[in-house]
Amino acid sequence: MLSIKNLTASINGTPVLKGIDLEIKAGEIHAIMGPNGSGKSTLGKVLVGHPAYEVTGGEVLYEGRNLFEMAADERARAGLFMGFQHPIEVPGVSNAAFLRLAYNKKAEADGRDELDPLEFDDFIHEKIKLVAMREEFLDRSLNEGFSGGEKKRNEILQMAVLEPKLAILDELDSGLDIDALRVLGEAVNRLQRPDRALLIITHFPRILETIQPQFVHVLSGGRILKSAGKELATELEDRGYDWVLEEAAAGGAR
Amino acid sequence: MTSALAGSNLLADLLNGPRPAEWAPLREAAEQRLAGRELPTTSDEDWKYTDLKLLAGGFSPAPEATVDVAGHLLPEMVGTRQVFVNGRHAPHASCASAVPAGVRYFPMSHASEACHTLGSVGNGTAKGLFEDLNTARFQDGAVILVPKNLKVALPLHLLFITKAESPVAVFPRVLVVLERGAELELVEEHHGEGAYLSCPVVEIRVAEGAILRHERVQRESPEAFHLTSLKAEVGRGGQYHSRTLSFGARLSRQEPRVRLAEGADATLDGLALLDGAQVADTHSFLHHAEPGATSHQLHKCIVDGKARAVFNGQILVAKGAQGTDAQQQSRNLLLSEAARVDTKPQLEIYADDVKCSHGATVGQLDPEELFYLQSRGMNADDARNLLTYGFAADVLTHIPVASLRRSLRQLVMARTQAGSLGELS
Repeated sequence: MLSIKNLTASINGTPVLKGIDLEIKAGEIHAIMGPNGSGKSTLGKVLVGHPAYEVTGGEVLYEGRNLFEMAADERARAGLFMGFQHPIEVPGVSNAAFLRLAYNKKAEADGRDELDPLEFDDFIHEKIKLVAMREEFLDRSLNEGFSGGEKKRNEILQMAVLEPKLAILDELDSGLDIDALRVLGEAVNRLQRPDRALLIITHFPRILETIQPQFVHVLSGGRILKSAGKELATELEDRGYDWVLEEAAAGGAR
Repeated sequence: MTSALAGSNLLADLLNGPRPAEWAPLREAAEQRLAGRELPTTSDEDWKYTDLKLLAGGFSPAPEATVDVAGHLLPEMVGTRQVFVNGRHAPHASCASAVPAGVRYFPMSHASEACHTLGSVGNGTAKGLFEDLNTARFQDGAVILVPKNLKVALPLHLLFITKAESPVAVFPRVLVVLERGAELELVEEHHGEGAYLSCPVVEIRVAEGAILRHERVQRESPEAFHLTSLKAEVGRGGQYHSRTLSFGARLSRQEPRVRLAEGADATLDGLALLDGAQVADTHSFLHHAEPGATSHQLHKCIVDGKARAVFNGQILVAKGAQGTDAQQQSRNLLLSEAARVDTKPQLEIYADDVKCSHGATVGQLDPEELFYLQSRGMNADDARNLLTYGFAADVLTHIPVASLRRSLRQLVMARTQAGSLGELS
């Protein structure tokens, strides 16, 4: 589904990604872990086309298409989604109207029927149950005045509405209490299907107890230093990141 | 001919019309203050960015006219409306049958005896030139008196409509008095067609613990000039919340001046949506005269074409007005290269225990916001239009009259090209 080869990217002329290789197949769940400032979020944002980052080299194929030939909105309509660590507030636009607009753009691209406000009302009421969101949040302006946790809930609601093929979730657990994290983690699990894939970006392994990855990668200094199965997450929880960095440094020296 | 000469001719022309018989002493005092005065020019600091030379063509007194008001009625307020056409009360277009007993709500021409307050709000402060012009020549206006502790459930609707076949001048007048503990929601709208000058004056007195919510909608014709003064005095613990929405007029100027007594609370929000060669100028003055009063001011402008917005927000915290909390925000969105905004906060603080904040932003849409919407599948144009709509609609969100909120949202949608996005509220 996604094939990343020797990807390099920079922000304001400073290299952040220094050669990333990663293969994600349908049905897989991958976790990217690493210390703060390692380039984890950058990788996600580059994949969804954030304009602040410049791709300086390498190649990314998404379902066989060159990802970098697609505009950000085109990538979204093709099934790529990123749940952001710090979702933006948009005053004056109701959450419900925004969700319906986003749904209909995607439906139009997929050749499905668009939903009118009444039909969407029924549809969205099913979806908010999935993320245990209170109804009043639909009438409020998009993310405006939402707490960190409410914003994350709203990101997963958007994911539930758009049903992406590949969802990238950036630091989903930040701002969430244990119960909310479990609810959202389970919601993400329920959305996962054999024809979809997940890329979980996280500093803390906690979320991986609910959303269990088959592959764990440690990213640091703009490179993937280590890839292994989910047991790596447990090891990182026990031992921290330093040993991976040391091991990589030693490996580089040899 | 110099512009100053054109200005004095204009003033003289405007005063040439017949002087209505009522309130003779008020009118004479105003005329005396006007004697020898000229229209301000751009060398006058207060009018630096707003050039009144545009008015030079001259205006004659507005003749009587009839209009069809059906398109302006709002369902919540069909029974609480007073309509004025070309400055005169239009009895057949008005209907106040749903106004609760006790509220006095009538045209000024019907009961001058009740209007002893007229012209006295803001006494002790200077009268503006256009305020005096209005006082000298207004034909009629609305009086609203709400007695002690009466909370009026239905909003009242004031409609001022001008129909000009040739350039005319109208002088709408409003007097609102809320006695202690009274509550009222008031919608004041200005509409029109043709080229004209409208100089409304609104006087408001909110007594101790009373609450007035005031929606002001300026939808004058594109050739019109709208120069309005508002003076409000808010008593101890009273509240005055206003929202001024400017969409129309070739040139408009809002001059709200609000005085807050101890513990009073005021909101002075504004939105101007400008295009073409429109000019919209707001010069506000918030006077924290006594301790413990709070004020919030959010002024937003969206400026397209070669239009121009001006905001000058003066806040005066008097000596001894401890515990004042005054917050002012001027936020401006420029949609074209030629669009222009001049924004200036002006804080004068003579007390030491105060919380005053102000901020001004002038710019384009935030790239992070644009990207967020694009990352959800909206193309760049749709994302821009949606954000522009949201920027404006944000000011409309808390309008309590649902039908008004809806119709203004539709207007904003059309003006921000967000119409193609479907229902957004």
